[in-house]
Amino acid sequence: MSKYILRRALGLIPTMFIIVTICFFFIRLAPGGPFSREKKIPPQIMKNIEAKYHLDEPLAVQYIRYLGDVVRGDLGPSYKYKDYDVNFYIGRSLPVSLILGSLSLLIAVLFGMIAGMLSSLRQNTWIDYLSMSVAVVGISVPLFVIGPVLMYIFAMKLNILPVAGWIDEKGFKALIIPVVTLSLPYFATIARLSRASFLESLRSDYVRTAKAKGLKTSVIMFKHVLKGASLPVVSYLGPAFSGIITGSIVIEQIFRIPGLGRHFVQSAFNRDYTMIMGTVIVYSLILVIMNFIVDVVYGYLDPRISYK
Amino acid sequence: MNNDIILKVDGLKTYFNTDDGIVKAVDGVSFELKRGETLGLVGESGSGKSVSNLSLMKLIPSPPGKIMAGTAIIDGNIDLLSLNESQIRELRGNKIAMIFQDPMTSLNPFLRISTQMIETLVLHQGMDKKEALAKSIDMLDLVGIPNPEKRVKDYPHQFSGGMRQRVMIAMALSCDPEILIADEPTSALDVTIQAQILELIQSLSKRLGTAVIMITHDLGVVAGMCDTVIVMYAGRIVEKGTNDEIFDSPKHPYTKGLIKSVPRLDRPLAGRLFSIEGQPPNVIDLPSCCPFHPRCHKVMDKCKNTTPEVTKLENGREVRCFLYEGDK
Repeated sequence: MSKYILRRALGLIPTMFIIVTICFFFIRLAPGGPFSREKKIPPQIMKNIEAKYHLDEPLAVQYIRYLGDVVRGDLGPSYKYKDYDVNFYIGRSLPVSLILGSLSLLIAVLFGMIAGMLSSLRQNTWIDYLSMSVAVVGISVPLFVIGPVLMYIFAMKLNILPVAGWIDEKGFKALIIPVVTLSLPYFATIARLSRASFLESLRSDYVRTAKAKGLKTSVIMFKHVLKGASLPVVSYLGPAFSGIITGSIVIEQIFRIPGLGRHFVQSAFNRDYTMIMGTVIVYSLILVIMNFIVDVVYGYLDPRISYK
Repeated sequence: MNNDIILKVDGLKTYFNTDDGIVKAVDGVSFELKRGETLGLVGESGSGKSVSNLSLMKLIPSPPGKIMAGTAIIDGNIDLLSLNESQIRELRGNKIAMIFQDPMTSLNPFLRISTQMIETLVLHQGMDKKEALAKSIDMLDLVGIPNPEKRVKDYPHQFSGGMRQRVMIAMALSCDPEILIADEPTSALDVTIQAQILELIQSLSKRLGTAVIMITHDLGVVAGMCDTVIVMYAGRIVEKGTNDEIFDSPKHPYTKGLIKSVPRLDRPLAGRLFSIEGQPPNVIDLPSCCPFHPRCHKVMDKCKNTTPEVTKLENGREVRCFLYEGDK
């Protein structure tokens, strides 16, 4: 098992290399560049700028240079923001996104699994209908509707929570509305996923055996059903985690949260090559690491999967 | 009364509510089980043999299933069917144990054998985990699992089908139940393993004094190990008798047909194999008639509009057919 984990961990390196390579060349395929303006910049100035950022070199040389920088952990200077480099902006915004995303996902998993479990146990009763209705709302109503509605009710009318801002200025209360909003669609997906897999497990032969042994429903649920039923949720968590960290752009805009999502979108508009590359690297690193963790957890949950 | 009778089922009716109508899966089944006896329950798919036994354990998925009527008296005083959920739970796995058809799916693939065996013992016998583990190892040894101290730590997928069924048997018998319900325990196993498993059930039940209800569609199984045989058709018992009686002189045309359908190796092959023509009836809204009449070669006018009652013959033998009405 530990051998497998080590091998999988080493396998992350070529994956990342391929992602960086594809991304590097694809960005440059798009027309325009970081310094294209509507008003033409005089050719001499343009030449100077390009020389400063090594954009005048052949593409292959640029690529090797960039790769060398990335290996050393330097994501390069931002082409848009002159004061700091990409490392600084990501270093400042990533923790914010991590806190927001992890908390939201944690809440989504906790309540999603509970909702799924209850609705599978009480299938076709009001509990089932209620939690699945909430789930449908969570899936179908976009974040930019839910966020402002919660903001209106709890911040502006009831005046119990801050309207916007982050922990540094408003304290931990500032987390509540953004976290609830962001977790809702993930809660919904997890609730539906886990309901389906709980139902499947509950109808399985081994649960019938467990019942025939005289076990209580609670024991059957937590000992016999939970492990197998959580497998689909676990495999959903990998992409969900990386999605929730970068996909929180809407929430960050609405609640004025200085997270990574803003850079993710803005850098693309700015053709800020290094910033795009930086955010893509962070995003895909989170994605591949999460998938790696999911695979390992899978092996522990399901003894039939053997990694040899 | 006879103290030897540990289970007396009377007028058991289990219906399923479906969109097409009420499925009368079990419609008035009565039988007795003696201490240490092996009772064979034969019938084709859908004849209600599994459902009647799941009803005894109150394991019918409800809804749509519902036990409509009947009693099942165990030990002369407890009616299984009127117990509430927590009362019946104390009996499940303790006094009545069950093994199922498919050993590949009947064990939880995510838990070790030890975990699955220990939980029953801790629950019903009040053992601590260490005692329960020791007992589990003993039971595995008893059912012929080699190297049980090591194997008990394994997961179900590390066992073959036959070995898993042995584990199921060990688990079912670990609390020393009075009744073991074996629901087609060998249908999913290959023939050589079948014989081993049946022998195992037979020898262990004799040794531990467990009464066995053997549900099967395989007449060979019944002939080999059962004391008493019940033949079911469309949710009802059509014939009941001792093993010898059923096989030597079957009464009901259906039983006769079943026995004739078994290919015989000890007789010269005479053309095509025998089969009972037609299909078993749909048990939704069955009109008043003998449900077997469309397939019966001795059908009379009466069979088409009257439901035959049970005719009791000598030695407690029963048959549900108009042919024997006068033989009481």
